[in-house]
Amino acid sequence: MISRNSILKRTWPMLLQCAEAHRKPRWLPVAKSKIYRIPKRPVVSEEERIELLRINNNYKTQMRAIRRFYHEEMIKERSTLESASSEMSQRLEAEEWERCVQLNDKWNAQVAAEREERRKKEFEKMEEYALARIEAKDKELKEKIAQASERIRRQKELSTTFITPETLDEAIDHALANPTDYNFAIDLEGQQYLGRDIPIPSKEQKRKAAENN
Amino acid sequence: MPLPPASGTGRYFVKAAKSIRLIRQGCTNRPFFHISVTHRKRLNSQPVIEQLGSYDPMPNFNNEKLVALNLERIKFWLGHGAHVSPPVAELLGLAGFFPIHPRSYMTAWRNRRTERENSEKQKEAEAAAKTADAA
Repeated sequence: MISRNSILKRTWPMLLQCAEAHRKPRWLPVAKSKIYRIPKRPVVSEEERIELLRINNNYKTQMRAIRRFYHEEMIKERSTLESASSEMSQRLEAEEWERCVQLNDKWNAQVAAEREERRKKEFEKMEEYALARIEAKDKELKEKIAQASERIRRQKELSTTFITPETLDEAIDHALANPTDYNFAIDLEGQQYLGRDIPIPSKEQKRKAAENN
Repeated sequence: MPLPPASGTGRYFVKAAKSIRLIRQGCTNRPFFHISVTHRKRLNSQPVIEQLGSYDPMPNFNNEKLVALNLERIKFWLGHGAHVSPPVAELLGLAGFFPIHPRSYMTAWRNRRTERENSEKQKEAEAAAKTADAA
């Protein structure tokens, strides 16, 4: 029975990408064209070899020292962890804790003061902004009211000429008594001849009129 | 079925040899490496114990190759006797955590030498061109 955990927390992935997928299989012989090819050996001069040997030796020595240092540190840390339960270390830890708490409180107070100041400034700014907005709104409203009252006044002035049910008969009589004809004709010189029944003078008549004048 | 995380499973055998090495995580034509601690006998495609940093070998906009290191954990694993692979040792040397790796020195002086030779060749070519012009 395979547990679910062993599948989920396995160290070996289910899918493996083969790095050799695009390479020649190991069991194939050397290609014919490469049989007599001898790879060129890298040339390292004697001077360079000695220098490399020297710096490699130095590096190894230094690395050994570093490794030993970290190993010893690890052992030291482990031993201090084991001895951490002693009374002395507990007291030291408590003192350290006290100091940290005090420092933390101090920082908190500082930050709180800064925050209070900032919030005050922000509140003032907000208030200013709101007041400005209210003022602008009031102004707009007043303008609107003025415009409306102006319009009302004009309509009231005009209302004296309105036709009401009482004056309807009178208006009809007036209209029948004074018929208006808006028809007109226009000639090439742009003169208007109002009315439908006005005879348009011919060219000769015009000339005569001009001579008379 | 989820794969084990690239940042490490945190599971290891205490007595097995560990190795801090670069593990390639990029894709085709875009190398990117995790600096991870893993069992020395494990393949790079297998899950690691813990990720200790990252290395981006492609220079970025400011011509920098970025390296991130978790030095505290590296100290821890060195204390537990982990081996360090040469590329990681070079990186740590350049970071100032280890002495400079001999290979860094070697590549540096070899690069300097080729540069010097190239410049000399160029000078000679220029001188030859000048004499040809004069003649």
